[in-house]
Amino acid sequence: MGVDTAIDAYNNLTEQVFSDPKRWPGDGRFKATKLEEVIKSVVRDVTGDSEAPLLEVGDTSVCRM
Amino acid sequence: MNANIPVLFRSYQSRETHSGCKIWEAARATSAVPTLFKHIEIGNKQPFIDGGLGCNNPSKLLLKEAKVVFPTHQIGCLVSIGTGHAEVIGIGKPGFFQQIVPTDVIDALKAISTDCETTHEDMLFFFSNSLNIYFRINVEQGMQGIKLSEWEKIANVEAHTMQYLRKEEVGEKLTLVINAIKSQKTHFMMEQFGMKKNKLCNQIKV
Repeated sequence: MGVDTAIDAYNNLTEQVFSDPKRWPGDGRFKATKLEEVIKSVVRDVTGDSEAPLLEVGDTSVCRM
Repeated sequence: MNANIPVLFRSYQSRETHSGCKIWEAARATSAVPTLFKHIEIGNKQPFIDGGLGCNNPSKLLLKEAKVVFPTHQIGCLVSIGTGHAEVIGIGKPGFFQQIVPTDVIDALKAISTDCETTHEDMLFFFSNSLNIYFRINVEQGMQGIKLSEWEKIANVEAHTMQYLRKEEVGEKLTLVINAIKSQKTHFMMEQFGMKKNKLCNQIKV
């Protein structure tokens, strides 16, 4: 994931997550489910699998995320 | 909650790889700020409270990890990038949050801002005899009033960052950073770190 793509993804993530606060803030003011959803979509866009494992096998010289 | 023992989420093989952790879980765990999001449990129900509570400036942790992973290598360059000075983490007025989160969490959040700069001071001391290896880049002014959740202020963040980067001293520092990264010469032995570590720890009141 290149730097510019990462910045775009971050901007998109913060907008999606923080523009939609919980109506009743209890365990945190924002929805963790929304955060998870957006993170997973980024992972899916980059790796093709939203459940991709963190541990890299094979060539680890290339920055993946 | 024990914020003093940070967990490293590694994407490479190591002696203590977090088994079976997914990319999204690691990302979620490192963003579990208590006032913002619910905590997450990974693997054997291990709860993760906050990616930043105990270790917002992980420079020292990085040195330890580097020594384990590359015991015979040397450090060529270490660049630490901050998110702005002091109150940038912006937790809001404690009075409001105290109704929701325990006081000890509020205290821990307050400690974050000082934690980053204390670590920076320690690193400066640590590398004081090795020029042009350790660098910290951190926007000094303007970020104080911007809260973590204020996504709509990204243009302000960008403006303050550009202003910082245009400063003469920062430009000079960046030139040194680029040279240090490009140069294959390494100056700082990991062994030196091992020898100095105990001395360093005595100086730091953690």
